[in-house]
Formats: sequence, structure tokens, C-alpha cells
Amino acid sequence: MMRAWIDTLFAFSTTLRNVGRRRVTEPLPWKRLRAHPERYRAGFALTDDEHGEVACIACKACENVCPSGIIRVEGERRESPVTGKKRAYPVSFVLDMNACIFCELCVQVCPSDAIRMRTAWTIPGTSREDQVLTLERLRANAREGHLSWATPGRLRAMQDPERKNGEGGEP
Amino acid sequence: MVDAHPSHEPVAPALVEVSGLSLPAAITHLPRPDPYLNVEDYEPEADAMALNMGPQHPSTHGVLRLKLFLDGEICFKAVPYVGYLHRGVEKLLENRTAIQSVPYVDKNDYVSPLTGELALVMAYEALLDVEPPPRAQVLRTILMELQRIASHHLWLGTFCLDMGGALGGGSSVFLYNFRERELILDLLEALTGQRMHYNALMVGGNRHDVPPGWEEKVLATMDRVEDRLAEYEAMTVDNHIFRSRTVGVGVLDPLLALEAGAGGANLRASGVDHDLRRDAPYAAYGQVDVRIPVETAGDCYARFLVRIAEMREAIRIVRLLVSGIPEGPIGALKPPRHVNAVKLPPGEVYVGIESPRGELGTYLISDGSPIPVRVKIRPPSLHAVSLLPYLCVGATVSDIVVILGSLDPILGEVDR
Repeated sequence: MMRAWIDTLFAFSTTLRNVGRRRVTEPLPWKRLRAHPERYRAGFALTDDEHGEVACIACKACENVCPSGIIRVEGERRESPVTGKKRAYPVSFVLDMNACIFCELCVQVCPSDAIRMRTAWTIPGTSREDQVLTLERLRANAREGHLSWATPGRLRAMQDPERKNGEGGEP
Repeated sequence: MVDAHPSHEPVAPALVEVSGLSLPAAITHLPRPDPYLNVEDYEPEADAMALNMGPQHPSTHGVLRLKLFLDGEICFKAVPYVGYLHRGVEKLLENRTAIQSVPYVDKNDYVSPLTGELALVMAYEALLDVEPPPRAQVLRTILMELQRIASHHLWLGTFCLDMGGALGGGSSVFLYNFRERELILDLLEALTGQRMHYNALMVGGNRHDVPPGWEEKVLATMDRVEDRLAEYEAMTVDNHIFRSRTVGVGVLDPLLALEAGAGGANLRASGVDHDLRRDAPYAAYGQVDVRIPVETAGDCYARFLVRIAEMREAIRIVRLLVSGIPEGPIGALKPPRHVNAVKLPPGEVYVGIESPRGELGTYLISDGSPIPVRVKIRPPSLHAVSLLPYLCVGATVSDIVVILGSLDPILGEVDR
């Protein structure tokens, strides 16, 4: 019986030692103790190409690969007002974040470096409809920034079996 | 005075030969209760009562329902009910291509998702006859061992939480273990971009390479984890109350464990020296000399000792490998650009790996179409749950909580 008390007190001495240690919990939403790494994947954005037009070419690669089937892309071919060349543009791009599993496969397969994930991990909203991202909201997300490191091109360069040593590993 | 435990005795335990295996004599051929006992036939000494433990019970570690038939406080029959977390993962995988299916298996064993990914990816690689490059193999091994430490941290925390307040007050050990688990999740987050459902592997290699400075962070974290692990050992290993709750409780006959297909620490705590990392090396385990801790007492305390030793061994393997990751690519195949990028040949394979809970296997049948015809996942936790009707008989309700915790089942994996 005495032994049990001694062992319990000894265990409590470890607890006391931990009282003085630095706090590791984060007092959200007031303060974050550490930033998410650059590869963190939370939201989505559709980036623009070098002419200021949406880079998406509505090829439906992301729609086909998405395991949850939450992406719907409708496209049409038209002439670019900037370059005058004809290519496909998305008419509507709907991404339902309610069922997203954040697997990054849409970024993995995108041929035109259009879709990227974001490190902004708060996705506020008051209804389920707020979590459905449209083409306009996705482009606004890209302008707002907080984009993850991984672009489709960087990801595939990192995974390339013929890449040279030390290439494509950063950050 | 602390009771002697076989694992602390210098004398080697007596062994008995059973079909080519040397098993500890003291716990082999134990009398086995009848799991199909008719409750009507049982004559209780005290008041008989049926007690439902779970599915919403904090110590069932998920949604397991245990129907206990009690004679006073002693259980004379236990029936586990599983399936509350059934998501039809195997059927889902039979409708997905090789690229799409990896994120799904993350959700099976949500405490160690990377091992689930590796089991599936290795099955596809065996079917395709693809060998990942050395850098990917070493990286995979490091990831698996980091995941093992994180998984055992969560187990140790919840196990001590079940034990009650004698270990430094209420949920102390639980919270400390989560603190250290968080450090390892930070490492995995820096590498893959996610904290839990990584999608870190793909057929033929890894999806992510090491970010700059990651190796130093791993070594610093290992130092800290090892330092803190000594604290938890000091709180538990010789703690009188911890020992009186675990020593001699839930003794598992090695023959029963083998018959039930139990694996991992549950099997090794009963004196069966079996570990796929050493016996059938995969990834880069052939390059390191994996030391397998084995205990011979078969009780909850022995399972606890095996898991603590496994954590130390995992730290050692990570330290060995992380300083010498070979240069080169991380993938053997072209990075996928569309959903059907991996073409499956017809055939069938089985691949088993050592997850923190035991042998995690994937059985795959393909007829040559892009999606497999049949995917079967062999979850080690299901086999651990199947031991409960034997181990719970003769134990009190408070002991059943400890027995269940010591088997470390993850119900997401049991129900799939």
C-alpha cells in the first residue's frame, strides 16, 4: 500500500516537471505558434496564365481522377481576346469542398499548371453552399495568395524517374 | 513489494516444442473458455447480468460493442459486435484505378495511415513487377518507422488513460504522448503536406521528396522523443498500481494467438518470434538489422513492454537510415498525368507488411482492366478483436478495459 503511494507521488513529480515546460497547444483563433509548412494542402485555387487569363483548359483530367467525384468542369473553345489563339476555356468549374479528401490528385494530373492547393486552412462559411467553390471563387482564391508549394509541374518534376540528383526537392 | 514478473527474471523461461516452434511453457496449452457458451446453461454464483460496453464508450477506442455476460463482476461470456464503422472500402477500391485508390486506404487504420498505403501500393507494384528506386525504398522505411512511433505514442497514451489517475494524475500520460506524437506529425506534414491522410505513396515510388533540412529535424525530434520516452517508462514500468492492473491480466496463449492470426506486439508478447520486417524484408528493411523484442509472459504488461521496446527500436532504425538516404529519383514510373496511367496486367498477388498492429495484407485480383476485380484487405486489428471472447472470460469489467487497450485494435480497420 505504501509502495503504491510512493509510486503515485513519483509519477506526479513528472507531472510537476511538465508544468514548467513550454506550452505546445495553440490558443486559436488568437495566436498561432507555428506556420504550416509550404506543402500544406487545405483549400483550392485556379491560377491565371501569363496573359492574365484562367490557365485551365477544361480537359477534365481532374474531374476524372478525383476519387470523391466532387469536381465538375464544363468548357468551350473560343478565341483568346489577348493572344488571338483558339483554345478551350472553362465555362463553369465547380468544386464541392464538403466531400473533398485533400488527396492532391487533381494537382497531380493537371496538364496546364492551373489548379493548386492553398495553405489557408480556415474555410469559413455559414452553410453547405458556402463550401462549394465556383470558377470565380477559385480565381479569387488564387489572387488572394497563400498558395501551396506544389504546382502540377513541380510535383511531376519531383517524381520524375529521370530527374538529376538534388533537383526538384525544394522546399 | 512489487510482484516478480517473468520478464524481469534473469532465468530463461521453460520452453515447450509445439509443431516446430519453441513456446513458453507457462502460458502454452492454457484452458480455453467456450466462446459459444449457451448463457441459459450457465449457473451463476452471484447475480447474472448482461452488460453492453460500447459502441459509445471511451475505452473501446472507436465504435466496438462488447456484450458482456457477468456473474457478479466476473465476465463468463463476451461477444464483440463489429461493423459500426463499415464504409465498404474494399468495394470502393474495386471501382477505382490504382492512382485513385491510395487515399482511401488512409482511412482504414487512421492511427497509422502510411502502413495501409504501403500495403496497397506494394500489392500493385508486385502485380506490375515494378521495383521502386533505392531512395524511395529508404524514404518509405523511414516513414513507416516514424508512423510506428506515432502510432505507439497514441496507444501508450490511451492505454494509460484507461488505467486511471494513479499515473501522474488523470490524463497526464495521455496528453504528454499526444504532445510527442504531434512532433512526428509535424515531420510528416513538412514532407507530405498533411497531418493524417497523407496520400504520400504512389505506385512505383513516393509522391514527395524530402524538403531541405528535413533530416536534421528528424534527428532532433528523435532525440526529444527518446528523452521523453524515458520519462513515461519511469512513470509506468515500475509503478505499483500500473503493474497490479496489468501483470497477469489477459494472458494470451501463443497457440490461441497463432490460431486466431494475431500479429504484432500481441503475438510477440506471447513468446512467438515473428516479424515480417525481419522474416520477409520489404522496402529497405533488408539493409538494417531489425531487432525484434520478444516477451514470454503473454499478459497486458508484456504487450506493453514489447511496444515500448518497439518504439526504441524504431527510433534506432530512423537514426540509422536518415543520415544515409541515397541520392536519385523517388519514382520508377512516369508521374501519372491521367486517371488510367497505371495499366494492370492480369494476375493475383498477396502482399503482407508489418503494420504497428501486426500483419497488414492486401490481396489483389486483376483481369487486365484498369480497375482490380477484387481487393481484400487483411486487417490485423480484426484478428486482435477475435481474441476478446477468450481473453475476457474470467476477468472483471475493469480488467476488460485494460485487456482491450493492450490489444490495440483500430476499429476503422476492423470494419473497413
